[in-house]
Amino acid sequence: MTKKQRSHTKGRRRIAGLLALGFALMTLGLLYSALAPQPQVAQAQGDPAALRRGEQVYNNTCISCHGTNLEGVTDRGPALIGVGEASVYFQTATGRMPATRQEAQIERKPAKLSPEDIDALMAFIQSKGGGTTLPEESGKQLVGDNPARGGELFRLNCASCHNFTGRGGALSSGKFAPKLDGVSETEIYAAMLVGPQNMPTFSDRQLSPAEKKDIIAYVKSVTDGNNNPGGNPIGGLGPQSEGLIAFIVGMAALVGITLWIGAKS
Amino acid sequence: MSSNTPQDLPSDEELAQMSRDDLVKLGAKLDGVELVEYPDPWPVKGTRAEKRAERAVALWFLIAALAGFAFIGVFLFWPHAYTAPNTDGYFAYSLFTPLLGATLGLSVLAVGIGALMYTKKFIPHEVAVQQRNDSGSSELDKATILAELADAGDRSTIARRSLIKRSAGLGAGAMGLGIGVFALGGLVRDPWAQTESKDSLWHTGWKHDKPGEKVFLRRATGHAHEVSLVRPEDLSAGAMETVFPFRESEREDEHALSKALKRSDNPVMLIRLRSEDGRKVVKHQGQEDFNYGDYYAYTKICSHLGCPTSLYEDATNRILCPCHQSQFDALAYAKPIFGPATRKLAQLPIAVDEETGYFIARSDFIEPVGPAFWERKS
Repeated sequence: MTKKQRSHTKGRRRIAGLLALGFALMTLGLLYSALAPQPQVAQAQGDPAALRRGEQVYNNTCISCHGTNLEGVTDRGPALIGVGEASVYFQTATGRMPATRQEAQIERKPAKLSPEDIDALMAFIQSKGGGTTLPEESGKQLVGDNPARGGELFRLNCASCHNFTGRGGALSSGKFAPKLDGVSETEIYAAMLVGPQNMPTFSDRQLSPAEKKDIIAYVKSVTDGNNNPGGNPIGGLGPQSEGLIAFIVGMAALVGITLWIGAKS
Repeated sequence: MSSNTPQDLPSDEELAQMSRDDLVKLGAKLDGVELVEYPDPWPVKGTRAEKRAERAVALWFLIAALAGFAFIGVFLFWPHAYTAPNTDGYFAYSLFTPLLGATLGLSVLAVGIGALMYTKKFIPHEVAVQQRNDSGSSELDKATILAELADAGDRSTIARRSLIKRSAGLGAGAMGLGIGVFALGGLVRDPWAQTESKDSLWHTGWKHDKPGEKVFLRRATGHAHEVSLVRPEDLSAGAMETVFPFRESEREDEHALSKALKRSDNPVMLIRLRSEDGRKVVKHQGQEDFNYGDYYAYTKICSHLGCPTSLYEDATNRILCPCHQSQFDALAYAKPIFGPATRKLAQLPIAVDEETGYFIARSDFIEPVGPAFWERKS
């Protein structure tokens, strides 16, 4: 053996040793993860820093109505244990929470919390008893490809309160179903999942994720100025306002034309 | 006309001599009309103003032609297949219907304006005077017409032909009776008569056709022929789902499957109360076992005027009717608590099928569904 050859084999042996060590460590790790007992309590998914920040946000903005341990305060706010991150996302991203005052219905307003604060708060509330989570997708990914079927489902499940084209409508004692203009896809999805305020809940087994996405596709096709070929929806109230405008404008035009026909040239 | 005595009329020779102008004047005169003024709008031919007027009229007809061709072009070639908003080509698609209306409308309008302009510019604006005859018909006219009518009746000999008179009376009478039966027949048959058919007014689509048949609760998925049955775990607490009857015998019957979704007294609201609310429920006498745990099934048809009462508030547990603002309490057998409705919503007895785990209806409603059922006991 030459010296060069010997150093070559030495290097090879060292590499083999390292590989064996790595393999052994990996096996041990896999065995541990397979055999170690699963914790029975819900665990925080986020990192500890996010949880601390979420707790900070909670203590600053939510604690007075929802209590020190999320247990709720009578006549102020409900318990938040087990409501889940989807509910937190809907309430804070639409600006409904933190609420300004107690009233029949808490209305949408610009979000008070930053997106980072919302994420941290979602992780914090989720760590307290779990609950409904948001889907993996967000935004445009939640728009299904069959708005016609979405329309069928919307008319069956949603239109009784939110109107056929998402204009909203009245409920009992000052409450109302809001109109669906300017609501993001994720917010609509979260609202169906958790049923905020007086809205019923639509679980994924009642309306499958594909059905929810089709509903979102339909909502997006009739709100935000869409489905408006005439240029002005005049309230989107259907035949009343349209008939009134047609009568007034049409009558004025007919009177004008009649005067022109009768005038001497 | 009494004013046109025969001596005013021209003889045949005179008629042949008359110019067209004279004939026009004569025709008007025979109608009692006198043309006072009958000016030519363009007494001097070929002026620039006349040419301009001619071009203006032609321009409108030209616009009508262009708009008409544009309509045909849009109708044939514009993208008309549905395109969802927020996708490519939506803007062009959204213009399809407005363009059809605008082009055809402009075409019709331009033809009308062109015709009117032509009338205004080129048809003479005559001034005519017509004598009005104020008094009634003359005594002579009245006497003669009465005589003519009486004479016609007499000459028809109907007065002495009693066979024809009687048979005509019989025929016309039977025909009138037929029309009367046609109009009233629907009111005579009793639609409320007790029958065992599920299509009678005493029953809904939930009625079991034969004993032991399972009638499942089926949800609508947007596909009329898809069968999606409901399990208890499908509904979260505070959920409401609209369900329709389904029988295993209908699984391959597409007509029956889609009909079940459309029959007006079929829709039922399946509500899952929150368990803390479920403890507060007050049940109706005789219907204590109609629910399955926290699951309650009420008809969607309002007891007032039959609107769909599907506005379910899951925090207050109220069911609202959008038509006249009736409210029903889901925690107290859906009794009316506000508005014009005076009777509770009918409750459907439900259970879970032990074999399949799906919800089934144990029987039809035991009380009538919908508004103002005659002689209703509950």
